Amino acid sequence: MRLVAAAAVAVLVIGGLAIKLAYLQVTDGAKLAGMARDNTLHRIVLEADRGIIYDRHGTPLVANSPIWNLEVMRAGLPFEARARTAELAELARLTGEPEEKIAATLVAADAYAGVRIGPDLSQVQQLAINERLPDLPGVLIVQRAVRTYVDPLVFSHVVGYVGPLNDAELKRLRPLGYQPGEVVGKVGIEAGLETSLRGQDGWAEVEVDARGQIVRTVDRQAPVPGNSVYLSLDLDLQRATSQTLAAGLVRDRKTAGASVVVDPRTREVLALVSIPGYDTNLFTHGISKADYSKLLNDPDRPLLNRAIAGQYAPGSTFKMVTATAGLQEGKINANTLLGCPPYMNVNGWIFHNWANYNLGQMNVAKALATSCDTFFYQVAAMVGDVTLAKYARSFGFGQAQQIEMPGAMPGLVPDRIWKALECGVSDLNSDACRWNTGDTITFGIGQSYLLTTPLNQAVYVAALANGGQTMRPTLIHQVRDPSGRTIQSLHPEVTGSVPASPANLMAVREGMRQEINPPYNMNYWFRASGVPADGGGKTGTAQWGGSGLDLPTHAWFVFFAPYAQPEVAMSVFVERGELSEVQAAPIAVQLMRFYRDHVAAIRS
Amino acid sequence: MLAALGLMTVFSAHAEWGRQVLWVVLGACAYAAAASFDYRRLRSLALGLYAGMILILLAVHLVGHTALGARRWLSVAGFPLEPSELSKLLLVIVLAAYLSRGERPSGLMSWRSFGGALLLVAPPACLILTQPDLGTTIVFVGVLFGMLFLAGASAWQLFSLVFAGGVALPVLPYLLHGYQRRRLEVFLDPTLDPLGAGYNLMQARIAVGSGGLFGQGWLHGLQGQLGFVPERATDFVFAIFAEQFGLFGSLVLLAIFGTLLVRLLRTAAISSDRFGHLLAGGVFVMVLVQVVENVGMNIGVLPIAGIPLPLISYGGSATISMLAALGIVQSVAMRRRTVDEPVAELGTITRRAQA
Repeated sequence: MRLVAAAAVAVLVIGGLAIKLAYLQVTDGAKLAGMARDNTLHRIVLEADRGIIYDRHGTPLVANSPIWNLEVMRAGLPFEARARTAELAELARLTGEPEEKIAATLVAADAYAGVRIGPDLSQVQQLAINERLPDLPGVLIVQRAVRTYVDPLVFSHVVGYVGPLNDAELKRLRPLGYQPGEVVGKVGIEAGLETSLRGQDGWAEVEVDARGQIVRTVDRQAPVPGNSVYLSLDLDLQRATSQTLAAGLVRDRKTAGASVVVDPRTREVLALVSIPGYDTNLFTHGISKADYSKLLNDPDRPLLNRAIAGQYAPGSTFKMVTATAGLQEGKINANTLLGCPPYMNVNGWIFHNWANYNLGQMNVAKALATSCDTFFYQVAAMVGDVTLAKYARSFGFGQAQQIEMPGAMPGLVPDRIWKALECGVSDLNSDACRWNTGDTITFGIGQSYLLTTPLNQAVYVAALANGGQTMRPTLIHQVRDPSGRTIQSLHPEVTGSVPASPANLMAVREGMRQEINPPYNMNYWFRASGVPADGGGKTGTAQWGGSGLDLPTHAWFVFFAPYAQPEVAMSVFVERGELSEVQAAPIAVQLMRFYRDHVAAIRS
Repeated sequence: MLAALGLMTVFSAHAEWGRQVLWVVLGACAYAAAASFDYRRLRSLALGLYAGMILILLAVHLVGHTALGARRWLSVAGFPLEPSELSKLLLVIVLAAYLSRGERPSGLMSWRSFGGALLLVAPPACLILTQPDLGTTIVFVGVLFGMLFLAGASAWQLFSLVFAGGVALPVLPYLLHGYQRRRLEVFLDPTLDPLGAGYNLMQARIAVGSGGLFGQGWLHGLQGQLGFVPERATDFVFAIFAEQFGLFGSLVLLAIFGTLLVRLLRTAAISSDRFGHLLAGGVFVMVLVQVVENVGMNIGVLPIAGIPLPLISYGGSATISMLAALGIVQSVAMRRRTVDEPVAELGTITRRAQA
């Protein structure tokens, strides 16, 4: 009797289970089977390799080096609370991240998404953790490529670096298909050629198991790597420029400077250096707060690219503009003799020459060679500020160069209109707003409100060297697509020409040639270095920070060579340099010597 | 036959199926030994078996291994042993011995015997609950209830047991481990925490459901093969089975269990004495409770508790004790007319016992 009851209970219960089972497997079957597939199919992004940046001869300046991260997929963690806690503790030990932080990160993330935990792993760490993976369900080691720069201190200001998109960049680049967190060029060529270097990400649809390990690839679209960019820079010349400038700065106890070398025939930038540089690899490998604030608070401002964004008065290096204007406007000719007194009195204001004695009568070439200030005061006064400004602009002053990286600054070309607009006082006839003769004559020697950049200086000297054409400078020699086909190559781009006759420009160049030849002292550096003084140069010691006699100065030297058919034009800038003749000029001469030997070596 | 199906499923669930073969072979030996052993002598051993059960359960508490947050394992000569599995069988023997003392074939149970049975079960049940092992405790309670019923407990006695359980239920959550309490909550609403505590349940249901009518075939099945179903060779082995063999296979499996249960009841009915009657009945209840709870939790109608599916799930202690239990029942069946033939052949016996 009781056995029958027991049998009845058994039949009822098992029958009930069977009915529920039938309901689950047949009625809900399709839906639940779909859920099983969703469980296992995941679409993952296959990141495209970012294009490599080379120097003009094909030496890579950056590598996509592998880096490993520990990732955790929440759904893969052990179910049991104790085992889960134990694993989190172990993860905290392995990564050095606090346990609570890991837990909080995981809770916030998608359960099936791998979440990066802790810092980048070295190969050794990666291998050590890899061995432990069987005991750590839900944990993956993920490899990705990270930019590693060659010689970052030398190339930092040209090549730049990459980093994850910030909110503003994401807003701007979203229409181009950028995803949150994607790596993008921040400064330098990395930013300037972002769209070319980026490539096209692919995707793969993969079946994964509960631990997140890929079991099978269902479908895939291969990524397309970014283009290869061949810079116009010559690796050796860039290094030599950096080393020579750095050595010169150290010798003179200076901490900052810049130099730009261009080819006046092709507009290519052969070297572009701003000192101090910084370690761009810090940025791509995850810069620490301490390192970053150190860079930001460094009084030498290593993050400032002085070569394109440092704006300084050009000083006497500007005198070729004044000379060109005076000659072309007919105020003087090549043989006109003007005096070079120790000072001039203009409306009761005294304007000094650099020498406190009279250098005598001289023509424009000798005035350039001796850098006579009082000679150019007179020429500037004859030409006038508006005309002088026009000539300055024709040499590229006051314009931001359209170079392939962001941040180029224009400098400033002042004249009376500018001053009236800038003075900030409503009464345009007040003293603060009115342009005076003193402004004009100091403008003539590259002072006044005039500002330029080392890059603008190089464009200016190149124009003097190549017969009066200002060319848009370029850092790109070639761009090649992933198959190696050249899709962009160099073509000269003339942006303007100086409105001056060849004869007048010849007279100006003659002054630059004389400056570096006997009997002038500058020739010493050439003789001492064994470099023929075949070319033209001009020193400049520019005052800054107000008006007066004992102001701090910057030292400049601009140079082109050889004289007859110039191949290089360069600017050398020493921040806070007191004497351009002994601080800036020898750097250019050293550089010229390296260039000559280097070119000879390449040609042979 | 069940054991073979179990092997196939365990194999498909990637567990160490070679070891499971060993367990089944060892279990078959235990079965043969138990069948040839005269079950009536077990009665005189009952007191010793009870003492042994208490001892090993105590030993688990003192020197046991911890796995998945619970202390359930003893290491015997290098082999892990899960005493709570063995204790289920021992409980059936001890209860059968106790309840058959008076040899009153019919009539109602005295309150004294009823209380004695409760007192007998309480110590091992407490030891197991505090391991903690909720699943085995549930089996204990089920076996106690079922055997009291078969032994002739009155409706009042059984009702008082249900009533006591009803009173204990609200208190139970406070006695449970945190994770056990969460399982109960999640059982009531699996979507509460689909990737935490509800994960097992959801994944198991998805696996069962995607089996469909005829299943995805042996060694196929996304959920099981890719490891989404947790504890797939033990507690959730039924989900794996259902995903691979579908509704058809699952019903066949349930039918086989049904047949086994019927055979057990028949043995109880034809047994020559009350002890044998209660032994077979106890094993019946033990198998029934485990099948129902395991299948029930796999398809989401009962809360999750760690209970193996008899003979299908991977695990040495469970497989061997279950086969030994069936062997004892076989011994009961063979000795109903004092038949004392030597055991012929393993295969024959297995077939006879499991049809």
